[in-house]
Amino acid sequence: GSVMLEGAELYFNVDHGYLEGLVRGCKASLLTQQDYVNLVQCETLEDLKIHLQTTDYGNFLANQTNPLTVSKIDTEMRKKLCREFEYFRNHSLEPLSTFLTYMMCSYMIDNVILLMNGALQKKSVKEILVKCHPLGRFTEMEAVNIAETPSDLFNAILVETPLAPFFQDCMSENILDELNIEILRNKLYKSYLEAFYKFCKNHGDVTAEIMCPILEFEADRRAFIITLNSFGTDLGKDDRETLYPTCGKLYPEGLRLLAQAEDFEQMKRVADHYGVYKPLFEAVSDGNGGKTLEDVFYEREVQMNVLAFNRQFHYGVFYAYTKLKEQEIRNIVWIAECISQRHRTKINSYIPIL
Amino acid sequence: MGSMFRSEEVALVQLFLPTAAAYTCVSQLGELGLMEFRDLNASVSAFQRRFVVDVRRCEELEKTFTFLQEEVRRAGLTLLPPEGPLPAPPPRDLLCIQEETDHLAQELRDVRGNQQTLRVQLQQLRLHAAVLSQGRGPPLVAAHTDGLSERIPLLQTPGGPHQDLRVNFVAGAVEPHKAAALERLLWRACRGFLITSFRETEQQLEDPLTGEPATWMTFLISYWGEQIGQKIHKITSCFHCHNFPFLEQEEARLGALQQLQQQSQELQEVLGETERFLSQVLGRVQRLLPPWQVQIRKMKAVYLALNQCSVSATHKCLIAEGWCAAHDLPALQRALQDSSGPGRGRRAPPQRPVCVSVRPPAAQSEEGVSAVVHRIPCRGTPPTLVRTNRFTAGFQGIVDAYGVGRYQEVNPVLVFPVCGGNRAQRGQGRSPGPTGAGGRRPPQHPPSWGRACGPGVGRGAGCRLRGAPLTLAALPAAPYTIITFPFLFAVMFGDVGHGLLMFLFALAMVLAENRPAVKTAQNEIWRTFFGGRYLLLLMGLFSVYTGFIYNECFSRATAIFPSGWSVAAMANQSGWSDAFLAEHPLLTLDPNVTDVFLGPYPFGIDPVSPMLAVGPLGGARGQVGQPLLRPGQVVRRLTPSPLSDAQIWSLAVNHLSFLNSFKMKMSVILGVTHMAFGVVLGVFNHVHFGQWHRLVLETLPELVFLLGLFGYLVFLVCLKWLRLSAAVSATAPSVLIHFIDMFLFSRNPANRDLFHGQEVVQSTLVVLALATVPVLLLGTPLFLRWQHRHRSAWRPGGQQLDEDKAGLLDTPGVDEERAEGPGAPEEAEFVFSEVFMHQAIHTIEFCLGCVSNTASYLRLWALSLAHAQLSEVLWAMVMRVGLGLGHKLGAAAVVLVPVFAAFAVLTVAILLVMEGLSAFLHALRLHWVEFQNKFYSGTGYKLTPFTFAVEDE
Repeated sequence: GSVMLEGAELYFNVDHGYLEGLVRGCKASLLTQQDYVNLVQCETLEDLKIHLQTTDYGNFLANQTNPLTVSKIDTEMRKKLCREFEYFRNHSLEPLSTFLTYMMCSYMIDNVILLMNGALQKKSVKEILVKCHPLGRFTEMEAVNIAETPSDLFNAILVETPLAPFFQDCMSENILDELNIEILRNKLYKSYLEAFYKFCKNHGDVTAEIMCPILEFEADRRAFIITLNSFGTDLGKDDRETLYPTCGKLYPEGLRLLAQAEDFEQMKRVADHYGVYKPLFEAVSDGNGGKTLEDVFYEREVQMNVLAFNRQFHYGVFYAYTKLKEQEIRNIVWIAECISQRHRTKINSYIPIL
Repeated sequence: MGSMFRSEEVALVQLFLPTAAAYTCVSQLGELGLMEFRDLNASVSAFQRRFVVDVRRCEELEKTFTFLQEEVRRAGLTLLPPEGPLPAPPPRDLLCIQEETDHLAQELRDVRGNQQTLRVQLQQLRLHAAVLSQGRGPPLVAAHTDGLSERIPLLQTPGGPHQDLRVNFVAGAVEPHKAAALERLLWRACRGFLITSFRETEQQLEDPLTGEPATWMTFLISYWGEQIGQKIHKITSCFHCHNFPFLEQEEARLGALQQLQQQSQELQEVLGETERFLSQVLGRVQRLLPPWQVQIRKMKAVYLALNQCSVSATHKCLIAEGWCAAHDLPALQRALQDSSGPGRGRRAPPQRPVCVSVRPPAAQSEEGVSAVVHRIPCRGTPPTLVRTNRFTAGFQGIVDAYGVGRYQEVNPVLVFPVCGGNRAQRGQGRSPGPTGAGGRRPPQHPPSWGRACGPGVGRGAGCRLRGAPLTLAALPAAPYTIITFPFLFAVMFGDVGHGLLMFLFALAMVLAENRPAVKTAQNEIWRTFFGGRYLLLLMGLFSVYTGFIYNECFSRATAIFPSGWSVAAMANQSGWSDAFLAEHPLLTLDPNVTDVFLGPYPFGIDPVSPMLAVGPLGGARGQVGQPLLRPGQVVRRLTPSPLSDAQIWSLAVNHLSFLNSFKMKMSVILGVTHMAFGVVLGVFNHVHFGQWHRLVLETLPELVFLLGLFGYLVFLVCLKWLRLSAAVSATAPSVLIHFIDMFLFSRNPANRDLFHGQEVVQSTLVVLALATVPVLLLGTPLFLRWQHRHRSAWRPGGQQLDEDKAGLLDTPGVDEERAEGPGAPEEAEFVFSEVFMHQAIHTIEFCLGCVSNTASYLRLWALSLAHAQLSEVLWAMVMRVGLGLGHKLGAAAVVLVPVFAAFAVLTVAILLVMEGLSAFLHALRLHWVEFQNKFYSGTGYKLTPFTFAVEDE
């Protein structure tokens, strides 16, 4: 272990030092607690814009025509993140570029699924394209609606994209209806997570030490969410188990138990076996006004991502920065929504970034 | 005018601006650049402030300006900076400007949009034409027929229902970088039910958005089957291809093509018309935009400054607070009167009494006529204002780079009186308008000012004035950094030739400084040199001086005065014969022999000029050596071999060890003097800030320590130089051993005393110096503790009373201040351990620093030595080789040209630039660390007045 560490410390900066410095600088520009306090006080979206101008976002809304809407803010913020990410990616060397490509894959999966759902509901491609995450854009993306089955999708469209390797488990001739699309998404995501996990693990060094726990958590979170969402649907227990990513802490015992769970209480009982997840489930309060499971998971994710910056010479900072920035965007959008809908009671339930 | 020593007196002023005139007042202040506004609304967020609406309108306008600017830039035109005075427009003009801008922007958008659509249409037509002509070309026809002939067997093999299906076409154009991906996707998705043909367009088409030429790929897809057709359409649309109808018959295609060409010709004419109109609009924008931009920027700045003001209780005026140099107060007062008084616009007579300012502010604001300024007691440390002129700016920059001085701290740069200072200079800069004239303050000061703001006249009990006129102006104007910096540099850079070159370079810059081409040059390196031109000037001048002292000009010696040494006398006295010379490789000049040493050289180091050598020995054997003051110890020898006359000077073998001894001692003397000077400067700080205890408890022990130990060393060195002559050189005592013995309290019988009672004096000094350490360590903390206890014992009654009084005399203004902040924590909590730790660090730093800093000054010796040696090496390796090469006149002339070129280039690159930079760096360090840590804390911040003037980047 220690020999490897020395290696990382010796050579890391030659290839990736510049970008690491850059991403740390970017991280310093995340909104502070004080900024959030000020944002929450805003009366209108214009106020919000004025305040955001004093932060690192600068004049990013300067060229927007009136009236300002939440979706415009959202789009511009995403574009900004995307510009930064593109810069990282264009200046990266192997294996960091592969790492960054892996990061993009999750957004690509989301976009593909979004487009297929849109096609299923007979919405126009343009309408859906606006909603796609800019980080997951690729040329062939818009053609996905010509595919009828997962195999079609793979053979015709996605075989040249980075998503191709994740298709190994989901080649089937099923017609893509809503359930099948959802299954496809989860299967894709499962193999994606496992592949990403394997990549980080094989890379070793600090990157593995940082990224593996983050990805383990991501896998377990997906398992929990899949379980939660499958209650009351006609997804069978065995089918459900095949969707769980197997690179988390829950694997294998926890996943087997989770597959048998039939309601939230049983799920909670499974989580109680794990020191990491027990406090999270305990923090979930039922009834309105409390935190949802999703919020709790987000908070935990933010915490892990912030801690990733405490180590040097690893790629995790890029992942952590992107996720933190995304969380920040979600927070701002939440606050903006609350402002524009004059629904101020819940305005404070954004996820603070430490 | 007590500002020669320290930063200027800066007053905290409060401005009462009648609401109606506030805007004009602040805009006038911006033109003059007199005062720095303090934010009175720090707790209010940006969007809750009073003038946020106006700021937002300015921003809206700026957004439109950006759009217009971008359009102008896109058309390849440039915007010229506006000329003439452009004051901030009156607020009502904003609407007018906004209207015109919007109109212009709308017009531009319309025309641009038209142009865009026309271009897109044109592009479509051209692409369509390209697609159609693709089908017409021979290659495709061939491919087509090939396809047909091949198709028959292909279709027959499956023999299925496909046979009667028609062949359909999809034709279009796609960007070249997508073509390959499109082709592959089509192949994969349709599995051979199609034939594609891709071709690059022959001519490049303009991109409708950017106007850049780009090639396109046209494609023709022939396919079978309806479903495949749908797929193809979907795929092409996802690649953002332009699809066009494709007629199968060649004649029809030709007809369509002709039609297209006609259409595109018509379209081009319309487009030309549109573009002409567009350039007209752009021309208007080009003319109008720059002045607007300046005006609106000023307007926004004014509103932002107004946002920092608070509103008075009666809502009739705005209250602004800020820092302003005490010297500028009359000018500030005048500016406010001019721009807010009833005779606004006209210039108020300068005789108008300024005492108006001390009338109670409440009464003033009720009148609502004139803006008023008055001084209020200081809270917190005021910012530092040091006016510089073009001469001192460079030196001040050196000090400021280390740290901006604390308010009214002794400034290491001696600052000259204010006339023609930076302010006036800044006014003449790029800022348009009356700034240039307004920046120059009239020289006369209204005599009433001093009285007007004197103690007791001001508002309330708290209004006492800080800093009565300083009496320090009477002190001798000590040359601080302005003199010491170039001097220390020159000690390391001493060479007449090099110094002269540097001086001339700087002189050229100084003489050309007003030329616009020089001023506006953007080259970063050039700007650095240009900024320090006066520094370079002095550095060059001083280097010439030290060069004479070292007697070096491009490493050659000069002999202005006759040498003090005579070789002839030595040879005659000791009867050197040719045989003697042949035997002895080295010869000694003994100063004790009559007439050999005639006396010290009048200026600098004795060159022992070659001229003297001519004489009894014949030829060019000569003389040597150059002891300055202590010839007794120095052994001088001669090499006997005949040498060419050019090189005789370097004959003295012990030349270097003599120089070393001299320069080392010189470094120590300069260092100790410099540091002692720093400590003494601290005295002025203590006196000024009224910290008398530090005078006794810090400066005094420090001086005793420094002078008792290292000052004594300097004394010994000087004494030895003066007391001992050549006659006793053999038995001269060693200063070094004396100094070591001093600390060991021991005595070395072999080393005789320099003066009577030396041992007693030495022991006393060491004991005294050591005794100062505990004083330094404990004095201040104990005193402060005593003072604190003393005060807190006193406190309870008095404070109560003060507060009562303040309550009675409260005015709205005071309320504002209270709300804003309780003021400087004058009585910060006294923590003994903290004070003690601080003092302990200071003591350790000082005592150890005395040793290490003295050693640090030895860099003067090291660098001057390095410089001398380098230049000598350069001479010996380049010039001398060149001079020695050709004995024939022609050859020498030819060889000397490149040799001299190399010599010149290396001299400039290595000796002037590299060595100069290194000497500069070391001089800088000696000032920052060794000198300034004796007295300069540099914890202040600069006064940044609110001004419209554009600072030089």
